[in-house]
Amino acid sequence: MSIDVHHVTKRFGDFVALDDVTVSLPTGQLTALLGPSGGGKSTLLRIIAGLDTADSGTISIEGTDATRLPAQKRNVGFVFQHYAVFKHMTVAKNVAFGLEIRRRPKAEVVARVDELLKLVHLSQFAHRLPSQLSGGQRQRMALARALAVEPSVLLLDEPFGALDAKVRKELREWLRRLHDEVNVTTVFVTHDQEEALEVADEIVVINEGRVEQVGTPDQLYDEPANDFVMSFLGDVTSLGGSSLRPHDIEISTSPVLAGGVEGEVSRLLRIGFEVRANVLTIDGEEVTVVLTRAHARAIGVEEGSTVWLTPAVGAAVVPRMKAVV
Amino acid sequence: MVEVSTPVRWLLRAVAIGYVFFLVAWPVSLVAVRTFEDGTSTFLHIFSDEQTVAALQLTVMVALWAVIINLVFGVTISILLVRYQFPGKRVLSALIDLPLSVSPVVVGLALLLVYSGRTGWIGPSIEEAGWQVIYDSPGMIMATCFVALPLVIREVVPVLTEIGDDQEQAARSLGASARQTFLRITLPSIKWAVIYGVVLSLARSLGEFGAVKIVSGNVTGRTQTATLIVEARYQNFEQGTAYAVAFLLAFISIACLIVVAFLRPSHES
Repeated sequence: MSIDVHHVTKRFGDFVALDDVTVSLPTGQLTALLGPSGGGKSTLLRIIAGLDTADSGTISIEGTDATRLPAQKRNVGFVFQHYAVFKHMTVAKNVAFGLEIRRRPKAEVVARVDELLKLVHLSQFAHRLPSQLSGGQRQRMALARALAVEPSVLLLDEPFGALDAKVRKELREWLRRLHDEVNVTTVFVTHDQEEALEVADEIVVINEGRVEQVGTPDQLYDEPANDFVMSFLGDVTSLGGSSLRPHDIEISTSPVLAGGVEGEVSRLLRIGFEVRANVLTIDGEEVTVVLTRAHARAIGVEEGSTVWLTPAVGAAVVPRMKAVV
Repeated sequence: MVEVSTPVRWLLRAVAIGYVFFLVAWPVSLVAVRTFEDGTSTFLHIFSDEQTVAALQLTVMVALWAVIINLVFGVTISILLVRYQFPGKRVLSALIDLPLSVSPVVVGLALLLVYSGRTGWIGPSIEEAGWQVIYDSPGMIMATCFVALPLVIREVVPVLTEIGDDQEQAARSLGASARQTFLRITLPSIKWAVIYGVVLSLARSLGEFGAVKIVSGNVTGRTQTATLIVEARYQNFEQGTAYAVAFLLAFISIACLIVVAFLRPSHES
């Protein structure tokens, strides 16, 4: 395991940011720390980088204990949400910074900067100032700067959070490809479940300072450990005391399947190709069902019609423990 | 922006320009006019007057020391105020503004109370150790430092706050030590604020009068600075010399401000 976080606790005054967190992040993989804002994921990343210190617990990186090591000795690449570019230096100088600090020979620095700028597609901007770059370009430059020192782990704190939706999408696909190319252990923080599901090999869900679940995107989506994980990864509704996805409910206009819950369609909303039906069951439960437009038309559901609901075969179902956040 | 009608706009301009003209530009320009009434002879004469030259040298020496000391402490205190949390921070911040609100005469008297060789609080012990503070250059440098203290800090603090510590953290994560981070990242970012603060401090230090008058003892040829000689000569009916030295002081200060205004890149405000 590349990064081992062991019983880490961090408080800011009365606020508990991390509550006895223990987690291992695998070598060579792209791991996402996913969770709502204020859940402690950025704090954990900053503690791994040495930019914050834990109140208790230990951190080890590649087998060496890094708990007491200052940030500059951890050999960690860090990418900030707001880029943290060195405004007074050119793009090339920004990328060269870590190498110059390490007093590498000039020729080597030039060659390495060249190579990295090619990797992030910024070669033609080498002599510009960061203020002349777009947000996406700045973040790519920051990434090249972090990679320049050949870090043992690369940490990204909401790297695409400040970018607009289109650039975000492009950059996360690009990050995935980049990771496959350079293969450095990478951890990134995000509150966007789509981003995590699309990019990461492994996802660590963090909420209220605790790790809720660790697993591959498929594991999390198909076998969520609890209500929170399930609701955070996508829409959730409840049927017969269990939580499940609205598109995982079979709806029929006659009681053909055993165990079907009877109810009345209270509202029907069409959004493009999908139809969202709100069903009020005879037990007084409000259930949301999503079906395709064609399916809705074929079975003839309308507002006011009586329907029977059953969980689809193979649906991810979680017993309902507490109110969905 | 709200559109203002043309007459109102002209009126506002006239008021602003008139105010500055009658209060600043006209009186200062009259000093120059008086200095050069009989050509350059009066002005050049001050450089052959031994006492005036000594006073100018002393002024430059005191001002440079005060600027250097305020530069080092100013930048350090600014970083402390912006980057660190500590008890008493607000008190420190308020104390730094004190020299702006307190009359320099009060500053001089206060320093006298502590450092005076005869009646001061720790002055006698310092004097026994062979250091003369009051009525000598250390006291004058201290008084000048005191009055110019806020200038560097008030320039640097807003800039440090605005740039945040993201860049510094990035530098640390890339392997830079605290010293390397300061020299390569922090200092270049606050460069213009520091230069501006230094220029303001220099202008203020060259022109300091009240505090220096009290702690220097105003001994002709030994602890008399340029501002003090202006007063002495004026009262001695040597108006020509007084105007010439006054003009020189004003000229240096204005020149400093103009040079910096031109040097400062226009996109960095």
